[in-house]
Amino acid sequence: MSQRPDVDMVAMSIIDSTMTAVCREMGIVLMKTSYSTIFNEALDFTCALASPEGEMIAQAEFCPSMIGGVPLLVRSCVKEIPLETLEPGDVICHNDPYRGGLHCPEHTLIKPVFVDDELMGFAMTIGHLQEIGGMVPGAFAGEATEIFHEGIRVPPVKIKSAGEDVEEVWKLLLANVRTPRYNYGDLRALIAGVDVGERGLANLIRKYGKDQFRQNVQDLMDYSESRMRAEIGAIADGVYRFQDQVEDDGIESKPYTIKVAVHIQGDEVVIDYSGTSRQALGPINATLGVSYSAAYNGMLHVTDETIPKNSGCFRPIRVVSPPGTMLNVDYPAPEVGGNTETHCKIAGAVIGALAPALPDRTMAAEGATHTNFVFGGTDPESGEAFVCYAIELAGWGGRSFADGNDATDSINGNCRVVPVEVFETRFPFRTESYILVQDSGGAGEKRGGLSTQRTIKSIKTEITGSQMSDRHRNRPWGLHGGQPGGLAGTWHQQANTTSWHMIDEAFGKASPSKWSNVRIRPGDSIRFQTPGGGGWGDPRKRPREQVVEDLAEGYISASSARENYGLDGAAEAAE
Amino acid sequence: MLLADYLVGIDVGGTFTDFVSYNSETRAVDVWKILSTPHDPNEGILGGLGRFDAPSDIRNIRLGTTVATNAILERKGATVAYVTTEGFRDIPFIQRGNRRSHYDITWIKPKPLVKRRHCYEINERIMSDGTVHVPLDEDGVRAVARSIREDGSIEAVAVNFLFSYVTPEHERRAKEILEEELPDIPVSISYDVLPKWKEYERASTTIADAYVKPVVNAQVANLRERFTEGGVTDQAVVIKSNGGEMTLEAAQRTPIQMTVSGPTGGVIAGKHVAKLSGISHLVTLDMGGTSTDTSTIVGGQENFTTDYEVEFGVPIQIPMIDIRTIGAGGGSIAWIDKGGMLRVGPESAGANPGPACYGGGGERPAVTDANLLLGRINPDNFLGGEMALDVAAAEKAIASVAGPLGRTPEETALAIVQIANNNMVGALRSVLIERGLDPRDFALLAFGGAGPLHAADLMNDAGIPSGIIPNYPGQFSAFGFILTDARVDVQRTVQMTSKRFDQARASEVMGALIETGIAELKAQGYVENIEIYRSLEMRYLGQNYELEIPVAFDTFTDETTPKVWQAFHDMHLARFGFNIPREVIEVITVKATVVSLTEKPDLATIGKAEGAAEAVATRSVVFDDGRHETPIYNRADLRDGHAIAGPAIIEEPVSVTVLRPGQPMRVDQYGNLLMGRIAEES
Repeated sequence: MSQRPDVDMVAMSIIDSTMTAVCREMGIVLMKTSYSTIFNEALDFTCALASPEGEMIAQAEFCPSMIGGVPLLVRSCVKEIPLETLEPGDVICHNDPYRGGLHCPEHTLIKPVFVDDELMGFAMTIGHLQEIGGMVPGAFAGEATEIFHEGIRVPPVKIKSAGEDVEEVWKLLLANVRTPRYNYGDLRALIAGVDVGERGLANLIRKYGKDQFRQNVQDLMDYSESRMRAEIGAIADGVYRFQDQVEDDGIESKPYTIKVAVHIQGDEVVIDYSGTSRQALGPINATLGVSYSAAYNGMLHVTDETIPKNSGCFRPIRVVSPPGTMLNVDYPAPEVGGNTETHCKIAGAVIGALAPALPDRTMAAEGATHTNFVFGGTDPESGEAFVCYAIELAGWGGRSFADGNDATDSINGNCRVVPVEVFETRFPFRTESYILVQDSGGAGEKRGGLSTQRTIKSIKTEITGSQMSDRHRNRPWGLHGGQPGGLAGTWHQQANTTSWHMIDEAFGKASPSKWSNVRIRPGDSIRFQTPGGGGWGDPRKRPREQVVEDLAEGYISASSARENYGLDGAAEAAE
Repeated sequence: MLLADYLVGIDVGGTFTDFVSYNSETRAVDVWKILSTPHDPNEGILGGLGRFDAPSDIRNIRLGTTVATNAILERKGATVAYVTTEGFRDIPFIQRGNRRSHYDITWIKPKPLVKRRHCYEINERIMSDGTVHVPLDEDGVRAVARSIREDGSIEAVAVNFLFSYVTPEHERRAKEILEEELPDIPVSISYDVLPKWKEYERASTTIADAYVKPVVNAQVANLRERFTEGGVTDQAVVIKSNGGEMTLEAAQRTPIQMTVSGPTGGVIAGKHVAKLSGISHLVTLDMGGTSTDTSTIVGGQENFTTDYEVEFGVPIQIPMIDIRTIGAGGGSIAWIDKGGMLRVGPESAGANPGPACYGGGGERPAVTDANLLLGRINPDNFLGGEMALDVAAAEKAIASVAGPLGRTPEETALAIVQIANNNMVGALRSVLIERGLDPRDFALLAFGGAGPLHAADLMNDAGIPSGIIPNYPGQFSAFGFILTDARVDVQRTVQMTSKRFDQARASEVMGALIETGIAELKAQGYVENIEIYRSLEMRYLGQNYELEIPVAFDTFTDETTPKVWQAFHDMHLARFGFNIPREVIEVITVKATVVSLTEKPDLATIGKAEGAAEAVATRSVVFDDGRHETPIYNRADLRDGHAIAGPAIIEEPVSVTVLRPGQPMRVDQYGNLLMGRIAEES
């Protein structure tokens, strides 16, 4: 590919890597100073830099679900807080899904970057606050039916003005949540992050001069665009279709269908969601920001991962999403799970659609749920309220060249699971076991990755728990003859009993995977199992030595070796 | 006749084994290097020592080695059994669940250093507050020992129980039983290796310790035998990742301590140079063929960390000098990506085929080729003239990327150097900015074969005002080994808050740690010149990462304790730009470091300059602002007080120092080259 001769590819490369390094520095400050485990252990946050027009010009890789939302977030902020009213030292706080946000827990902090009194861009941190008020501790109300159930909505407001805290805003934010001390710490961390970003970007601009910086950043976005166009151009023209389901919405026991038509037209792609189910009563809906992000996410997974991630990447991608559907939800429907449960199924469907065209760049379904268990209570010793948002890892899908990875965060996150020792130090549960689930990886020539199962027992105080999950009824799909991955499940065991019951049975809930405010008493146990990854290719074609090794390692059982893989003498091999 | 009395530092690297000797009678320092012998590293060590006429003249040998790291990287360690709390044998396989890179659908999760079928569970459970929920099932441990014996393939055992960092009794008892039942198999317990929270990180580190133990044991035993045969002293020590030394016996007990052995030498040597030169803040840059290591010395002290991954997702969290490595070196290859953008590294031409100019068949342009084309390297004086460089081959290689870029080879060579420099500036920034350190307060100490070549540009690009090119830049790590002390780091998790701080308990833990450290050194024979450093790791209640606050006293009292809290608030402000003055502070870990200072070489000074430095030649060299006819100096000719202003090139056998136009340089009394601001200070 040839470049315009006047493009300074060297300066552009240096500016790109320096901006990415600045974003990484922002992330390290967030990780080291924040309070919530979802922040500092799970790393559920994003750091980005944007142009004054709202184009994302750089980001660091923390949580991918958020990056597609950056342009919308900046634009919605400056729509309500005009650019000319911004001053150095201002910081805007914003979380409203109906104003470009993704879901209420995700708070965006935006700081304008001025060089010699001229607005040159924005530093942004987006982080998941684990408690934001609303009908359940931890925001993931599986049974919410309005956005108001999901916690406090924060339209773009200045949380700092000209370097000073806006006390009224802080008071309002902290009065509406169960854990104000934690939220204060997390917001301070998010602000420290944008401070680092502001300084880093301003220094870079001073070094290169404003004109050169502006030109290089435009060139950089053009560059990413041209790389993305080259990748799309290499895919055979055509319409590629796929569909998946969210099994229910937490309110009614019926599935919702996501339909994806990927139109490859030369070096552009249109991703059309027409035919997708009407919006749901419950919180599985996606805002347009989420649907865009998911389309981008899917395409970024099937294209060259070394393309610099900025708004230029998104220019050749267009999205059609009819209003009033679960992928372009109308106010004031609930949508907290859209960002975690629906996003990954959309991205997965884009990847699945392109599987015939890109056999070596795609994979069978990953678990596509974060399992999202949230709970809260009061510490009997300190009297302080605690709230936790815990995620779980699932199996990833098999690929033409490798088995699916075991126990990996879903495609729209890149979170780490919280260590047992950190979890128990912070919260009044004892973990009884945390294991890989045998046979949960879909059988295939390339086996799906294994899922996990965790059993915890409440040991001190009554806890209120809620969950937003999926794949308890629909198994993750296989590809090219591979079998689907194992189902997820959540079970409850009452204190001093030995039998386990599905949550929906135990508590009379409409959904096994989406439920609110279950009371977990001391001695009660809960068991969370995640879905396994789908298999790739005919399991009978799996090399025999790999089947024998899987059996020896306990990844598959003797009966699966025999029935799915056709291994003769499987029982003997297990010896 | 004087008896010769040598101290020898040896750094066994991938390509070369470096040697530095110090003769304490004549105060002479000698350096040499030989090709490494990866099939049998001890052969290279003995080969290099062949330089001594009488091996018995060697008093002490200090060895830096990559044997432990290589065993892990090449997956050539022992077959390990993992023994853990019932319900948790999958922790090494589940890991933490994040991916190296977001959008890389081709990523394959790393496998642990243990097979799942060799993982065993024991019924026992300790809670987060240290209480015993389920007592250790001793019969269960014996049953596991039997299974291990029957398996027959197990060569080492790693034990890691939940919350053992709070209450280690179960692990200790399990070790006793296993050693009783399996007398020939070494047992590592997590409390000895890494008494810190987070079970996966602790599991990974403990398994790695067990994994390398048999390999290290065999090699150390073999080395000892060969020393005896060759009449070499048995006074040999190994350099630990924390920059301290330990005896060979100690290395056999906890081999994981030597994972990052080699690179620490450069930091130790840097610390010594800083002390001699009266500089308190240094950032070190060790640039070799395939990678560059950076680290800092602040206020005369090196920085430590326990955040280390031998590869993505495989943490080894032992106390070590905080050294960041990036894949950028003289061998880093320049290439054009699919979008037409010039990139440098991380792929390296390595030693074989090496950069195109080595004439080893390399056809792709490396950073060294670019430096050659810019005139910064002399093709006839590389490695002291032992290797003639092929300029035409370098030109051809550079032309292969210049064409698509639409630039001349010379412009392209300059761009390659600029991009490589920017990668390194990123690494320098990360070691400084992450800790809230201002580059303007620092001097850059550059070494390694390629460090001095890039130092001037890096100072400029990273905003570091001063630079130092030390003596022996090509063997600087080995040089550092003759300067090490014996050092033991001990720590204990306590978990208390500023609201309910038990001063008596904190004082007692601190006292016990110091005793442990002293005893451990004493067991290795170090009893003199003991120095003790104390610190607390703490954070705001709710945070998850700690800041380490130095403590200058043994006993916590109503008078001393508040100073610790204030120091934390101050450091939080300095590092992160804010603090929360009324917030409760949580103390997580009490740490103590016990050092036994060893005798340091008394380095000789060089003669005073008489008259100006004289160039031996001139050459046309390309800088950022264009071509300059540049004087070339021979480093061996330079004396104390010589001052040179750039543009200039200073050549020595294993390296080349470049001065940018206008940049001042002065030689100090030890022969260090001082660049930039520091050259102008008297």
